[in-house]
Amino acid sequence: MGIINGLLTTIKYALQSPVTIQYPEEERVVRERYKGKHVLRRYDNGLERCIGCSLCAAACPADAIWVEAAENTDDERYSPGERYAKTYEINMLRCIFCGYCEDACPTEAIVLEHEYQLSFTDRRDAIYTKDMLIVPVPEGGLPTPQKVEPGTFDRAIPDMEDPK
Amino acid sequence: MENILLRNRTIPEIGTFETYLEHGGWEAFKKAFSMSPDEVIQEVLNSNLRGRGGAGFSTGRKWSFIPKDAERKYVVVNADESEPGTFKDRELLEFNAQQVIEGAMIAAYAIQATAVYIYFRGEFWDIAHNFEQEIAKAREANLIGQNILGGDWSCEFYTHLGAGAYICGEESAMLNSLQGLLGQPRVKPPFPVMKGGGLYYEPTVVNNVETLANVPWIIVNGADAYRAIGTPESPGPKIFCLSGHIAKAGNYEIPLGTTFRELLYDLAGGPQHEGKGFKALLPSGASGPVIPLTEDMMDTPMTYESLVELGSVLGSASFIVMEEGTDMVWAAYKMAQFFKHESCGKCTPCREGTYWLNQLMTRIISGQGTMRDLEILENAATQMQGKSLCALGEFATSPILGTLKHYRAEFEAYVNGEKQKELPASKTVAVAH
Amino acid sequence: MSEVTIYIDGQEYRVPANTNLVDVAKFYADNDIPVFCYHPKMAPVGMCRMCLVKMGSVEKNRETGEVVTDENGNPKIRWFPKLQTACTQTVYDGLAIITNSEEVQVARDDIIEFILTSHPLDCPICDKGGECPLQNLTMRHGPGQSVFYYEDKMHLDKHVPLGELIYLDRERCIQCARCTRFCDELVGDDVLAFHERGRRLQIVTISDPPFDTKFSGNTTDICPVGALTTADFRFGARPWELKEVPSLDPYGPEGANISLSTRLDRDAGGRIVIKRVMPRQNEYVNEIWISDKTRFGHHHTRSDERLTKPLIRQNGQLAEASWEEAYQVITDRLRAAKSLGVIAGPNQSNEDLWELKQLASHVENHHLGVFPATMSGGDIVNTVGVGVGTNFLDLKKGDVIVVVASDLEEEAPIWYLRTKVARDRGVKLVLLNARPTKLSKYAKYNLTYAYGDAVSAINSLISAVIGAGKINDEILSRVDGYDELAKSVKKPAYTNFTEAAEAIGDAQNMIVLAGSEGLTLAQQRELMQACANLLIVTGHVGRPNNGLIPVWHGANIQGAYDLGFTAEATEAIYQESLDVVLVAGCNPVGEVVEAEALQNANFVVVTSLFETETTAIADVVLPRQSFAERDGTFTSGERRVQRFYTAQGVIGESLPDWRIFAEIHYRLGGPKPKLSAGAVMAEINKAVPSYAEMRYKKLAEMPRQFPDVGGEDLYYGGTAYQNRGGIGQQTPTVAEDPEARLSVRPVEAMTPKFDGLVVIPTTLLYDRGVLFRRSTLMHQRIPAPHIVINPEDAEAQGITDGDTVAIVVEGHRYEVQVKIDKTLPRGAVLMPRRLSNRPDPSVPTVLESIEKIVQPVPVTEG
Repeated sequence: MGIINGLLTTIKYALQSPVTIQYPEEERVVRERYKGKHVLRRYDNGLERCIGCSLCAAACPADAIWVEAAENTDDERYSPGERYAKTYEINMLRCIFCGYCEDACPTEAIVLEHEYQLSFTDRRDAIYTKDMLIVPVPEGGLPTPQKVEPGTFDRAIPDMEDPK
Repeated sequence: MENILLRNRTIPEIGTFETYLEHGGWEAFKKAFSMSPDEVIQEVLNSNLRGRGGAGFSTGRKWSFIPKDAERKYVVVNADESEPGTFKDRELLEFNAQQVIEGAMIAAYAIQATAVYIYFRGEFWDIAHNFEQEIAKAREANLIGQNILGGDWSCEFYTHLGAGAYICGEESAMLNSLQGLLGQPRVKPPFPVMKGGGLYYEPTVVNNVETLANVPWIIVNGADAYRAIGTPESPGPKIFCLSGHIAKAGNYEIPLGTTFRELLYDLAGGPQHEGKGFKALLPSGASGPVIPLTEDMMDTPMTYESLVELGSVLGSASFIVMEEGTDMVWAAYKMAQFFKHESCGKCTPCREGTYWLNQLMTRIISGQGTMRDLEILENAATQMQGKSLCALGEFATSPILGTLKHYRAEFEAYVNGEKQKELPASKTVAVAH
Repeated sequence: MSEVTIYIDGQEYRVPANTNLVDVAKFYADNDIPVFCYHPKMAPVGMCRMCLVKMGSVEKNRETGEVVTDENGNPKIRWFPKLQTACTQTVYDGLAIITNSEEVQVARDDIIEFILTSHPLDCPICDKGGECPLQNLTMRHGPGQSVFYYEDKMHLDKHVPLGELIYLDRERCIQCARCTRFCDELVGDDVLAFHERGRRLQIVTISDPPFDTKFSGNTTDICPVGALTTADFRFGARPWELKEVPSLDPYGPEGANISLSTRLDRDAGGRIVIKRVMPRQNEYVNEIWISDKTRFGHHHTRSDERLTKPLIRQNGQLAEASWEEAYQVITDRLRAAKSLGVIAGPNQSNEDLWELKQLASHVENHHLGVFPATMSGGDIVNTVGVGVGTNFLDLKKGDVIVVVASDLEEEAPIWYLRTKVARDRGVKLVLLNARPTKLSKYAKYNLTYAYGDAVSAINSLISAVIGAGKINDEILSRVDGYDELAKSVKKPAYTNFTEAAEAIGDAQNMIVLAGSEGLTLAQQRELMQACANLLIVTGHVGRPNNGLIPVWHGANIQGAYDLGFTAEATEAIYQESLDVVLVAGCNPVGEVVEAEALQNANFVVVTSLFETETTAIADVVLPRQSFAERDGTFTSGERRVQRFYTAQGVIGESLPDWRIFAEIHYRLGGPKPKLSAGAVMAEINKAVPSYAEMRYKKLAEMPRQFPDVGGEDLYYGGTAYQNRGGIGQQTPTVAEDPEARLSVRPVEAMTPKFDGLVVIPTTLLYDRGVLFRRSTLMHQRIPAPHIVINPEDAEAQGITDGDTVAIVVEGHRYEVQVKIDKTLPRGAVLMPRRLSNRPDPSVPTVLESIEKIVQPVPVTEG
């Protein structure tokens, strides 16, 4: 009997479609809440959400994030308010993808997205800079730095939702 | 009864030095000058004269606190009459100036002051100008200045104009303003009468104009005669300023202890519009709680004590009368605006509290308020109580809390959408619920 | 100090009388009464109402004075009906407060809520976020949520520059007035004020140029929110990322304790750099204040122009070389040298100086000079300097501070501040100078003398003291030479000093601050002796809060004197032509005309941070380390030996001076170089008697200070002034030994007679010194090269205010602007040092010519 049962199981699974996929030809679709590589988001008008507050770095248990801030001017504006991230780096070798940075972010600028294909051949390459993290300028938006009318974006938070 | 304070009502031109002398002017000062300073203080103490600026503190006691050995001492006359609905000092200053000057000089003699300052509100510039001329005449007669009446004592009399701040009616803010500092109250103690608390940080007596106008009569006629007027706790005459919905508005000099009925009906002729009854009373301008003006209280004598029993204060006795049909929420809103405008900003509860009371009142009055806003309003006012540096923060809560207490239904009409007022755009607040 | 009993939350405490309740509760009862407007260094105002407590007095039996107790044996207390502000209360016997009742808690919550309703809550982008009193107190008190409407908040300007150094955020301001009170009441500079009233109340600057005070940075420290931030640090880092390293002001003689906030920086190539300079609490030295020069003058530490490798002159050009090559060249020359002159710069540490001295001793004919050579008398300071334990804060009514020949605000701003505040406490200030200075308006006695005549002025004071019979007879038994001194001052030059002399004679304590303005080096030395005479005969030596403080022009000139360096030797080096000259960390050739003579030396070695006029004449240039890259000790003008610690990484191949000198000495046959600066100090401990106790471990001792502003509970002082580096130790003076004989001697005025105008070199705080000019932020504060002249003299010369003139002094021509000052005496032309890029005269010198430069009319084309 045992043998028959075993064969039946084998036959059953042999007829099912496989759970493995042919990576890298085929890529797995991850769950909605999967925590992959970070992105730095922008507002609809193209301004960066990140204000360089360094709270993500403070929250990071792996000490993977490095932020240096600088001051916006109306002639060269990166983000609403006075402060933006001049340097933003994440060391992907250190990152444990816990998502604490996301929780700490007061402007929802940093988000762990679905990209998981990270590989590097050099330790230095593991440091992702701001250019590599920031999302492209959305349609209708302008790239940063922008030249803006004085007084239009003088507050970062909590007036942060899509500044007009 | 003969006028003791508003003598200008019966004697024309009494405010001028010449006429004043003809009617027994400066006799009180000369009599005081023949007494020792301590005797003068004792006389005023016996008269139980209470400060007419609002607090009702014993004037004689205040004088007696001045340290005898202080090298410099000052008398400051508070003529910054800025309380809404108050205009008693103005009449005295305008038409009976010499009596105020004489009273101030008696006070100066009693404490052996080195100088007297009178602080006028900025709008009194014409009065101040006239006042200076009257001071000059008294100085010429050697009643002010160097070696007064040939004695050793010298005392100068200066006038000073404020720049338009309600808070400078508060004595320590006034002292700051006199010194050229920002008109913000000081922490007490030290009180002005103490070293370190007064003008230029020297012991200083700060008296209201009306208080000092009482003093010459007390010196001439004696404390006993004075105490015969009014009630034992609140003796003497008092000027009541009547304004609002009253048939005959104006100043009324009557003894303390007169009943509401005598003043409001017999003297002032009742409500402004025939057929309407009284509704509410603000007994001390904007700074005392509003009370319903009912028939039951009409026979109550008006004294410092009785008003407290009624849940308000006599203060400067500036009665703003409101008759039936008055929108109490609107009245409270106007007062919230007033206090927001006049808060000096020194202490947190008053600076922030007056701002938020005004914001909330604006919401309510413009029909955008909710029941929750009423709750917040009441909480905010309570939150301010007992924490501010000077009395202004306390005063600012009383119109709100008083009105809420007695006329809550009217507020509810506003937040229920039954009523609303169109406000000019500059007065509205951004609302996003 | 008398003590009183107070009751905090039912617990009994014995505390010093006449102290502030908030300070006492914190220090003795560990009870943090929250405050915003109150600051332990300023008079209370009771504005913010955060410190409300339930207050009362213990009932006492009127006859017996005994405390009345209730049935449980607890003292019976009569409470005030309303809550009272604790900050405005001085403790008295029987004072009782409750800080933990619900009523008090609710009151605190209410105030916090009110404050927050108008606050923008933009903590993530605020420089104060993380070390913010408002944040901290919000964590401890207040409701979690506000009921007020966010849309109803008042919006105000968020970016208001108050001058180029400080930015104001009007929205964050909670109107505590700490900044205005600091400027007004403490410093005495009326530069900030409140404008408007009520909720619109806001800070404005009312001076021109804006925020015109030398202490502006301190307002950002005491600000309990992020309303005031510095342009220097703005968004530089978050406070929790910074590592604090205890250090010392590298510029002034006061020895101001600072904390270097350091962090890694991408722009600096990933190195650790100084992000900001913060004060560090030392109640004996600078309390919690530092000048803007100390705070913003740190940029030389990471300048791109720093020297990174040794340079050796080859074929007339300086070329990079290795240390070994450089040592080789130097040792070769030193072996053959017949004479050696060393000039030690103003911030050579004691360890540097010690190794330099050891090195110099290799050449028998050597001079140990110090730079700048403006002042002398370090040995006199070691005899009659201020007693051990001296603290300006202890001076009170009945005490006297004398300031002579110094513009204290420019030369030693911390002493200026402490002197001014002492005067506010009732200390009488006696000012002797040839011209009015900023301190003049605070002085009880302004005694004026002719330029160069400071010694006569002090002699006249001594004469007046003798005349008033105020000589301290007790001390005379251990004084030599009094009779000669008394005889020499019989005919005083100034006869109107009697009142000041009486004040000095009656003074309980007296400190003399002696400077050098308008004096030659010889005159200055005599002035120091004259001051010593005055201090000795009035008995103001040998005890704390009494004695002489020299207003040195540098951070460690006192240390240099203690180790045998002198300004006189520097003059000798200029005058003699020597085989080898070693210049350590200074730029004499670029700063004083006399130093041009150094070109005549056969061989010049310079240790330097930058290329300077002096390195330009050098044969070997060695890259030294700045105070931030190494450790060591400085000795302040009050003879307090204090440590500074390594804060940032080494730049290039630079080495600390002591190490350089030790290596050279080693190659000449000296001992093996020590491994650390501490080991060098251990040697000094053994060799120099007055430094015997100045061991590194002892210098780092950190007793608890009252009031404890330095703690981590930021609400109290505004920010953390925590001192982890120690408060240092003062070296003892001779006069403190009761057995020691003290000698006074007559000093002659030596007043030179000049014809015509005399150029008086003066010292300004902000100048173009080698280190300070690297801080570009401060350039707006550095005045253009100028002279100051009396209007009548100006008229006689045909020049007016704002003119550009060419002046010639000792053959040197300078193009300078003219500033007219009617308070200046006739005949004197003030010429501040180190403003131009040319060396200045170092002593009063006759002005040879002055002529207006006619500006060429600009040619406009086409």
